[in-house]
Amino acid sequence: MANTVDSNEIINDFATKEYEHGFVTDIEMDIAPPGLSEDTIRFISAKKEEPEWLLEWRLKGYRAFLKQDLPEWQNFKLPPIDFQGISYYAAPKNKKKYNSLDEVDPELLATFEKLGIPLNEQKVLAGVAVDAVFDSISVATTYKEKLKELGIIFCSFGEAVQEYPELVKKYLGTVVPHSDNIFAALNTAAFSDGSFVYIPKGVRCPMELSTYFRINTQGTGQFERTLIIADEGSYVSYLEGCTAPMRDENQLHAAVVELIALDNAEIKYSTVQNWYPGDKEGKGGVYNFVTKRGACRGANSKISWTQVETGSSITWKYPSVILQGDNSVGEFYSVAVTRNKQIADTGTKMYHLGRNTKSRIISKGISAGHSNNSYRGLVHVGAKADNARNFTQCDSLLIGSECGAHTFPYIETKNNTAMVEHEATTSKIGEDQIFYLNQRGIDSEKAVALIVNGYAKEVLNQLPMEFAVEAQKLLSITLEGSVG
Amino acid sequence: MANQVSIPLYQKLLDGFDGKFAIEQKAEPDALRQARQKALENFRKSGFPTTRVEDWKYTNVIPFLKEDYALQDKAKAGAALAHAVEAATIEDLDSYRIVLLNGQLQETATDEKLPDSISIRPMAEAKQEATFLNYFGKGTDVEKHHFAALNTAMFTDGLLIEVKANASIDKPLHIIHAFSSENNLFVQPRHLIVLHRSAALSIVESVVTDSSAAKIFVNSLTEVVVEENANLNHYTLQTAKKGLRQLQHTEVNQKRDSVYSNYTFSLPEAELLRNNLHVNLDDEHTESHLYGLYLGADQQLLDNHTFMNHQKAHCESNEVYKGVLLDKAVGVFNGKVFVQVDAQKTNAFQQNNNLLLSPTATINSKPQLEIFADDVKCSHGSTIGQLSQEAMFYLQSRGIGEDSARAMLVSAFAFDVTEKIKIPELEAHINNLITHHIPANQELIKA
Repeated sequence: MANTVDSNEIINDFATKEYEHGFVTDIEMDIAPPGLSEDTIRFISAKKEEPEWLLEWRLKGYRAFLKQDLPEWQNFKLPPIDFQGISYYAAPKNKKKYNSLDEVDPELLATFEKLGIPLNEQKVLAGVAVDAVFDSISVATTYKEKLKELGIIFCSFGEAVQEYPELVKKYLGTVVPHSDNIFAALNTAAFSDGSFVYIPKGVRCPMELSTYFRINTQGTGQFERTLIIADEGSYVSYLEGCTAPMRDENQLHAAVVELIALDNAEIKYSTVQNWYPGDKEGKGGVYNFVTKRGACRGANSKISWTQVETGSSITWKYPSVILQGDNSVGEFYSVAVTRNKQIADTGTKMYHLGRNTKSRIISKGISAGHSNNSYRGLVHVGAKADNARNFTQCDSLLIGSECGAHTFPYIETKNNTAMVEHEATTSKIGEDQIFYLNQRGIDSEKAVALIVNGYAKEVLNQLPMEFAVEAQKLLSITLEGSVG
Repeated sequence: MANQVSIPLYQKLLDGFDGKFAIEQKAEPDALRQARQKALENFRKSGFPTTRVEDWKYTNVIPFLKEDYALQDKAKAGAALAHAVEAATIEDLDSYRIVLLNGQLQETATDEKLPDSISIRPMAEAKQEATFLNYFGKGTDVEKHHFAALNTAMFTDGLLIEVKANASIDKPLHIIHAFSSENNLFVQPRHLIVLHRSAALSIVESVVTDSSAAKIFVNSLTEVVVEENANLNHYTLQTAKKGLRQLQHTEVNQKRDSVYSNYTFSLPEAELLRNNLHVNLDDEHTESHLYGLYLGADQQLLDNHTFMNHQKAHCESNEVYKGVLLDKAVGVFNGKVFVQVDAQKTNAFQQNNNLLLSPTATINSKPQLEIFADDVKCSHGSTIGQLSQEAMFYLQSRGIGEDSARAMLVSAFAFDVTEKIKIPELEAHINNLITHHIPANQELIKA
């Protein structure tokens, strides 16, 4: 092909593109000395003025953390992590609560502006309430009043512990136990803050709830804890999006997200993740080791995960659904793009336990440069899960000859009324497709963007409107000057 | 290793190697003795695999190893052998037939009139030959595979089959692997099949036992070398009776322009069948076909692990495995397709379909793709389901009884695999076996 040279250049351009959101905001921080011990945990707990039971639980998590080793089954080499070199608490010093955005530190607002999510605009943009987490503490919560009228609780985790301890105590750790895995245990011990959502019976949340996470301050890991409870017959759509400034040091991010859907409730959880992926040598970059799990506790409940993963040097997460209630539904839609030396090992687990449960998994991986992209998933049908139904599709697109795409599905069925389907394909962008578009006057770069957007459309379509625009923008930035 | 303490066999094997076995193998070539020593060290370290080992996650072999097995038997041909041979007979199949009892070639039961271009000799006698030394142990990873290490360390006999260059053998070679013993027995046959340049051969292997009460654990390893432009059709038919536990490791190495087709049929009643089928595509323009059918009944554990290793460009592989599970049977399918960086223009296809016909049957399917080259077309698919109610109704509404309808649908399900069989007599035989094992008038569909 005549444009081979061009496309090689384009590949190189793409593969080495500098991270656009890399900048550091200077705000004074209140930092705990690095290292994790029972004392650090007591310090965090005291700082946050937590009740006794929560401290106990943190300590239980800490003990579970000490007992566990780092896993070895993953499809990449896990760099050694110095858990004692991390500072477990960092909060903006400016601690007073804001009533309006004007009171917020202007530098902080500027940060969000650079990311393209100005709070001012968000406020105008109808229907979006933003709980912005700047490092570990919520600094601005908007639309709170409006939600309050409906009885919806949407606040920072710390606030929820103070104001709604009964709710937190009842549900915290019931989906992801304190000893679930080493990173979840670490989070349990040291979680700094996060979001808490409770939708009361029969309420349909009128707007998308959204939190923008942002890692800042050298050497601090972020350990958020998100807990979302949808009571009987309620509905909520939750958005989570992230970017992080450029760093040389690896930053560990071990969050835990727990979703609980009771009878007839529905939770939709969408993520756009664009943390700093490291430079082209793979140096720096965020380790994104997140435990996300939802439980469809009630009959006819539904949990849907949608994720667009473009950042982080290592992404390692499996948003899962436990389908306990009869007729419950679990969904997982994912687009994961990796470049340079990025690694993504992601997928989902669907546990079919109740009768007539359904699950659907759509995973699209795109790998370029020297990156590796793995799908790892489990579909489990228990002996009592009559008429369980699953459909799984995971496709991989390879751009350049030095990247890898891998698929590791596990399918376990103990019930003969189950219908389980899995299919996976791996290929590159067809030269015929590019030629077709070239021939119609579309240059190679746009052609590739077009093809990849089409390839990911099935997933992008699942995102809420406001988010879909941003995700598409993100994909096209990622695709800029690229063949992917 | 701590977890091996409960298995007396582990210590027995290690003791056996150091004792009598070492004396017996003194005359062996150095290369072989070194390979044995290395393999034994690996086995000493790793022991038998537990379910914590990823490749054995769904297959717990430990309970099958707890029996008190003898490592040697007194060969007792005669009635048992005749019985086993009869069980392995495939009606109307015109073939060259050879019979092994507990891994040893039986001269008496072997047809004499083999063509000159094929040579078959006992492994025990072939160890000094150039063919053996050239091909033995190539590509078999004794570090990763516990049982392959054990077999390499301690095999005593088996077959060496060699087909001369440019020779095409007119009739299939029917190898009957009969196992029989009065006491519990642990045997480790080792075979080597070499097809030289442009040779062609069809092999039908039957694994049978007589129905004695003794437990027999077979840890067999077959190495297959398909040289340039050669073509091998390799059929395996596992129809042993209860009491047999078999681990069959098949390591295939293919050279340029060669074609290898494997057909594996795992049927009742053996308690444990684990097939490790590894195909290494060492050169360009090779073609491989893997077809499998596993039909499990009773409490059988049927496990097929395939590994398709694409190392060079322009190769094609195609894999279809179908499973039917009855009663309390457990099926495992693990298919891995690996495409190395150099293997551009690879086409790899894999499919695994499963029918669960009983509420207590289990299937664990794990297709895997690991791809490091970009200009490839690879796909896999896996399904689990049951017979369609509509299809059953359609057939019944046309006057076909429920049992026949079910047998018809299962045969149709298996057709994707059975139609690939290139020997009509064998195809008919296998279709009969399938129909025979689909139980009549059970409540299995009604669960």
